[in-house]
Amino acid sequence: MSLFDYDNRPATPGIILAGTAISAEAYRIRDFLSRNSLQYEWVEITDTQRVRALLGNGDFMTLPLPVCILPDGTRLSPATLEQVASGLGMDSGPLLSEYDLAVVGAGPAGLAAGVYAASEGLRTLMVEAVAPGGQAGTTSMIENYLGFPNGISGGELATRAVAQARRFGAEILLARPFVGLEPESDVYQCQLSDGTTFLARTILLASGVEWRRLEVPGVEDLLGAGVYYGAGPSEAIGCSGGQVVVVGGGNSAGQAVVRFSRYASRVVLVVRSDHLASSMSKYLSDRIAAIPNIEVRTGSEVVGVHADGYLREVLIEARDTSASDSVGADALFICIGGVPRTDAVRSVGLAIDDSGYIPTGRDVGSFGSSHLWSMSRPPLLLETSLPGLFAAGDVRRGSIKRCAAAVGEGSMSVALIHQRLAEIGGE
Amino acid sequence: MSDGSDAGVGKPARVEFGQLKSEDAVRRTANALVANGIPAIVAESRSEARDLVRSLLPGGAEVFNNTSRTLQSAGVDDDIERSGRYQPLRLRLYQMDREMQAREMRSLAASPDYVVGSVHAVTEGGSLLIASASGSQLGPIVSGAGHVILIVGGQKIVPDVDAGIRRIYEYSWPLEDQRAREVYGVPSGVNNILIINRAVAEARITTILVNEILGF
Repeated sequence: MSLFDYDNRPATPGIILAGTAISAEAYRIRDFLSRNSLQYEWVEITDTQRVRALLGNGDFMTLPLPVCILPDGTRLSPATLEQVASGLGMDSGPLLSEYDLAVVGAGPAGLAAGVYAASEGLRTLMVEAVAPGGQAGTTSMIENYLGFPNGISGGELATRAVAQARRFGAEILLARPFVGLEPESDVYQCQLSDGTTFLARTILLASGVEWRRLEVPGVEDLLGAGVYYGAGPSEAIGCSGGQVVVVGGGNSAGQAVVRFSRYASRVVLVVRSDHLASSMSKYLSDRIAAIPNIEVRTGSEVVGVHADGYLREVLIEARDTSASDSVGADALFICIGGVPRTDAVRSVGLAIDDSGYIPTGRDVGSFGSSHLWSMSRPPLLLETSLPGLFAAGDVRRGSIKRCAAAVGEGSMSVALIHQRLAEIGGE
Repeated sequence: MSDGSDAGVGKPARVEFGQLKSEDAVRRTANALVANGIPAIVAESRSEARDLVRSLLPGGAEVFNNTSRTLQSAGVDDDIERSGRYQPLRLRLYQMDREMQAREMRSLAASPDYVVGSVHAVTEGGSLLIASASGSQLGPIVSGAGHVILIVGGQKIVPDVDAGIRRIYEYSWPLEDQRAREVYGVPSGVNNILIINRAVAEARITTILVNEILGF
């Protein structure tokens, strides 16, 4: 490949990250950079020729790893995700002291709310802990999203939505977890992980879910060293020619195996239920059945891992017979559903169901909270047990766990937010 | 015209094609471009050219910066990819999955809102010549992109199209070939040449002629 223009590589220097394959922090940084569409080059520290070519003849072998060199030449060693985000200028604060709407989470629901709210003139701030797109952002190809007949990747959908929200004037803070809120008459005092505070007249919780942990001995120790939660884009090319195991029966797992089948020599999908079709869209299960290097193990679960510092084998057991066998694996991707992210709002006594999801609208009355609903009207359709605090997308009790459904809820929430703003005045 | 074999490889670049042309020649060329439907702005320096590009690109625009020594040395690459003012398409394409998103990548690269690039020769009669090994940047310049901004160093002015083609083979190609071997480890090639004699869509292409040596 060459040439006058064939190469689409960025023309300006990117980020260089060097470390060991088994470093969990290096994986966190790779995943963060990749999900934020930031150009970087990953160098295994054992590849001395590459290390010297990229980093010069310094004493890199003695530096604490991982080493990260930012485009402005700043060297971080050992680098942490927070230092990298800050070094890239991603730590700027909110521009205003008060917003009409604060959106917590920039997945499909949050992004849709951000676009609609900003387009209707609301002062809108979006706060995202990691990167735009949420769980859908790591999906390689969504083929049943309305308006994209050839499919669209979750990352591309998120990139477009972020550009759209910004064009309408929404502010988006990335790599800044939302850690708490405090009601103050008709506004909420909001706090971010770095201590930044701002006021919001309404809040939309669209914080989504995080991957459920796989309770198998040894798995947590191998995080980043062959074991990954979700199937982020940063590791796909690294699977070239290797063997990959994916756990999960949902669309995320299905999209992951289709993606990895393009790179890996063999992909094994481990599913607890007896039928793939019970939890996965038919178009995906049909696609999987037609790909020769994908092997589907239904009625099975992962019960162990073998490693020598890096994952080597995965032990899979049939649930009915308890027969087990070891499968050689260069990577294990775990996509087994989600646990709602509600840590930031638990301290205010919000009603939450037994599984951790947030009830809204008519559902609110069925669940206990530390305070009584304070209004003469009932909660609005997507309103939680606190007036002016709304929830949409995967974190909401009863939501349909599909990208388009989350976009629908996020969009719909803005009409309800207008009602609340009119109620407290100033609309 | 040569067939694009190895006529220029290994030969030194012809010095005459690397010399800055007179301000008169720059002005004449600018007028000829305007007469051909291609607005031309004369900049005195690369920093003025950089400011002009900034003023021509609307904030938030989707921009593809073609691989170009001119853009690199004028600081335009930095502005597009790093300033945060635009949506840099290169960075987006670079992050996409070559296998799963090939179709999306093709459409995005083929039709950016704005393309910023350079040329290998501009004639005093107002024609633009651009060579390309893969041809990928030519489609958007001809019609795919919404707007095209071309920054042209004052050494690229030639009397006519024949001289422009000679400039490509005898000057740009040897230098580009050397660069490609150093950066990509592969040779370059004059596999495609685009000649724009006149722009039909009014003001779709804008040229910035710089009174300074810039690029190959």
